[in-house]
Amino acid sequence: MKRVLGQRPAAVRDGGAGARAPARRSLMLAGILILVIGVVSAVNPAFASLRNLGDLLVQSAPVIIVGCGMTLVVLTGEIDISVGSLLGLLAALMGVFASPQHWGLPTAVVIGLTLAVGTGAGLLNGLLVTVGRVPSIIATLAMLTILRGVTEFIMGGRWITDLPPGIRALGTGGALGVPWCLWVAAAVVGVSVVIARRTPLGLRLYAVGGNAEAAGLARISTARVRIFAFMLLGLLTAVAALVAVPQQSVVESGIGVGFELVVVTAVVVGGTAIRGGTGGIAGTVLAALLLGSIRTALVFLNFGETATYWERGIQGGFILAAVLVDHLVAARQGSGGRFIGAAA
Amino acid sequence: MKSSAGVWCAALGVIAAVAITAAAVAGGVSGHEGARAETAAKKITICLLPKKKGLPYFTTCAKGAEEAAKELGNVELIYDGPTDGSPEKAAGMVDRWALQKVDVIAVSPNDPEVLGQAMKKARQKGVHIITWDADAAPDAREFMVNQATGRDIGYALVDTMAKDIGGAEPEGEVAIITATLTAANQNEWIKHMKERLGKYPKLTLVAVKPSNEDQRLAFQVTQDLLKAHPKLKGIFGISSVAFPGAAEAVKQSGRSGAVLVTGLATPNDMKAYVHDGTVRSVVLWNTGDLGYLTVRAAAALASGTLKAGDHELDAGRLGTKKIEGDQILLGQILVFTKDNIDDFDF
Amino acid sequence: MLHEGVIALLLILVMVLAAWLEPGFISVGAQLELSTHAFELALLALPMTFIIIAGGIDLSAGSTMALASVTLGLLHQAGTPLWLASAAAVSVGAAAGAVNGIFVSAVRIHPLIVTLATLAAYRGLAEGISLGRPVSGFPEGFQWIGAGTVLGVPVPVLVLIVAVMVAGVVLSRTVAGHWVYTIGGNELAARHCGVPVGRVQFGLYTLSGMAAGLAGVVFAARRNTAKADIGAGIELEVITAVVLGGVSIFGGRGTITGTVLGVALIHELRELVGWHWRRDELILIVIGVILVGSVLLNNLASRRRA
Repeated sequence: MKRVLGQRPAAVRDGGAGARAPARRSLMLAGILILVIGVVSAVNPAFASLRNLGDLLVQSAPVIIVGCGMTLVVLTGEIDISVGSLLGLLAALMGVFASPQHWGLPTAVVIGLTLAVGTGAGLLNGLLVTVGRVPSIIATLAMLTILRGVTEFIMGGRWITDLPPGIRALGTGGALGVPWCLWVAAAVVGVSVVIARRTPLGLRLYAVGGNAEAAGLARISTARVRIFAFMLLGLLTAVAALVAVPQQSVVESGIGVGFELVVVTAVVVGGTAIRGGTGGIAGTVLAALLLGSIRTALVFLNFGETATYWERGIQGGFILAAVLVDHLVAARQGSGGRFIGAAA
Repeated sequence: MKSSAGVWCAALGVIAAVAITAAAVAGGVSGHEGARAETAAKKITICLLPKKKGLPYFTTCAKGAEEAAKELGNVELIYDGPTDGSPEKAAGMVDRWALQKVDVIAVSPNDPEVLGQAMKKARQKGVHIITWDADAAPDAREFMVNQATGRDIGYALVDTMAKDIGGAEPEGEVAIITATLTAANQNEWIKHMKERLGKYPKLTLVAVKPSNEDQRLAFQVTQDLLKAHPKLKGIFGISSVAFPGAAEAVKQSGRSGAVLVTGLATPNDMKAYVHDGTVRSVVLWNTGDLGYLTVRAAAALASGTLKAGDHELDAGRLGTKKIEGDQILLGQILVFTKDNIDDFDF
Repeated sequence: MLHEGVIALLLILVMVLAAWLEPGFISVGAQLELSTHAFELALLALPMTFIIIAGGIDLSAGSTMALASVTLGLLHQAGTPLWLASAAAVSVGAAAGAVNGIFVSAVRIHPLIVTLATLAAYRGLAEGISLGRPVSGFPEGFQWIGAGTVLGVPVPVLVLIVAVMVAGVVLSRTVAGHWVYTIGGNELAARHCGVPVGRVQFGLYTLSGMAAGLAGVVFAARRNTAKADIGAGIELEVITAVVLGGVSIFGGRGTITGTVLGVALIHELRELVGWHWRRDELILIVIGVILVGSVLLNNLASRRRA
């Protein structure tokens, strides 16, 4: 009963052909990604430069990091649309903790506190959904507005412009010539894949999303699994805030507005069923990269000023097309509507 | 047992949330209670509406406004605006204040049409309306406190860039990072910037890109532009969010000084970039003075000392300010550079 | 019924608080004038109620509104008579809704995904065809639709009253309304019972688009401007109002009465907080707390009864 939307677990969604869907989706996304890079590079070779591809990865890193957590939440059949506001709140808190004009705490303490608040927010979401029995889309919709309001209060119309060097280094520094955010993103992806694929917990995530009632009968504590997923997502949002926000010199109150839509889009285009049970990390990562590359590609193709006004339209059309094509391919293969869990 | 523990956890969470909210509400209440307590005989209530609450630009304006209100003594100042910059919400505030029969509403319209309708309606109710920071249709307000017209701003930006690039005939590609594609003020400035670019035939505008009021997006778009247009000489960041984002991207690409960034922002937000050479000039005006003058003008209008057709306004510590038609002039646009930016603190 | 009661009680509490804090706020004149602020929210909440009861969701309403208003503006600029331009704008809204409807009912993709994509696509289309420019300067007669009054009651409010009555009757008294509940309760069972599930879904999304188109036209008339950035984020407000009114996000449950109460509660809270405390950020917090609080309260009460 605790689905995001819709009525019951889709009537037919178990093993068999369904297991192929995420892999097929990842393959398709990888193909499109290579195609986009190839075509744009043919028009403007600068696109294929190592520097640009590196920037592309850096730009997508926050979506990838948070997307991993979101994938796990969506796998359990829930959703969290408060991540954008949470990112904004964590950025503001990090700024307040670190700025010498405010609290001026040491870097390690700032990191610890930020991670703790992020995890705490995830816990609150998880509790509202499980114990409070508030549908996740409603609980996190409420959190979306509440956290944004709280952020405005904390910032009080000011920006934080004096992040200490120790914190700035999290965003601008790196190791072996690779920025921290990429190391972190790689680690997060690795750990998430292991959790999802190789641990009993991962099995439970899929089981809870696939059929909560059956999972309940199999004595899996569905509440605990879902609380864990929300907490992990909160933690990862804090991680994203720590590596992405210090890339900029200014912490402002509008950070993360609309971020939840980007992340949910990446998860959905990545092939994770919105009703849970099927999907995976790989698809989300590829979709995040693809969505990031499309925006950049439009700059490099340089269609002229008028085309700028069509960019959002092109992106939206692209998402629609990707979902539609995948769906039609799935239908032809006789596993109709599997990944999106079409209504009954 | 387990489930009861869970219920307790949830209850605690809810209580925490409610406590935070209550604290926030209390903070909000106490902020106004003080202003309400004093009841002078001829109290003037002035509402100051920014385009978007939460931007330091407007917060610093409000500081100047408070200073003027304190000096005058009989002024209750209300400062509120939409935190998301939505013109519809701002229009709703104008409607509400008009119903509350405040004396003056000073509006910085984020969209002259949407706000203009509400302002006209408020005028019909007998509320004085002035604009500040940005203007609306002349029949929607009585005066405008004018720190710079769209034309002044557009021209100043382009001239500053041309001067920073240098040479008798400045040469190179330039790009604009704007707020959103539909932002009325920015589109007005861009129109005049393009007009002014005609004076510098060798400066070519290669792109106008939106940053959707997102510093990170401004940063990314600038990164993309730097690579897609290797001959880029200058970038205009024409919103206070786009400017630092663009500057940071140029700085991190290691091309500080080779690619110049300029735009509108409060000096405190840009000091670091001016000192490290990424930004040579920041264009703005004294925001505190703008807020101060706005409240002075509003109070004069409400008390009857300022009337249509006047040519001068006594503006307290700013001295006497000139009025041209219905425009109360603040004075010059300021250009902050390495040499003078540390003299300003706002 | 219980939930509606709770919301009605909350609404009364808010109004009592308002009467105590700000006597001017609850005067008829003030309320009538402020009521126009809730027009878009209320109009979009009606079809959203139907859609959510039927187990779906529509995130693209705000973008559709912008697309319709831009259509109106461009046609007006090109010299089309306004009644025709308005009709075209509402039709474009309906067409946008129909596209959502086809994807949901015929292609059978989850509505959250479809409308998440069209949320971006329709907004982008509006930006593209208008090149971000606003159109203003609508004649007085047209502005009457948005700003005029009949016997002191604003025209948009009259439109709304009619729409609420029609929606209420359709949902509670007709076969179509019954189908909506059946589909939301159990879609598979509904199909077996011979409910034309696809046709109902298609109709609902088309209707939602049409309402968004109408909202776009009235917006242009009210604010004398048609542009591509109107209605941004309104979909979340609409969903908040509908859910606050007791419509189950899982489908199958809810009433128009509840939605009207939900819209009224959000509207009054927003106006009162803005009126008295004058802090925009506070409104966000209050509405969020009320939303999650009302569902929690309802769950608690129903658990006790069970």
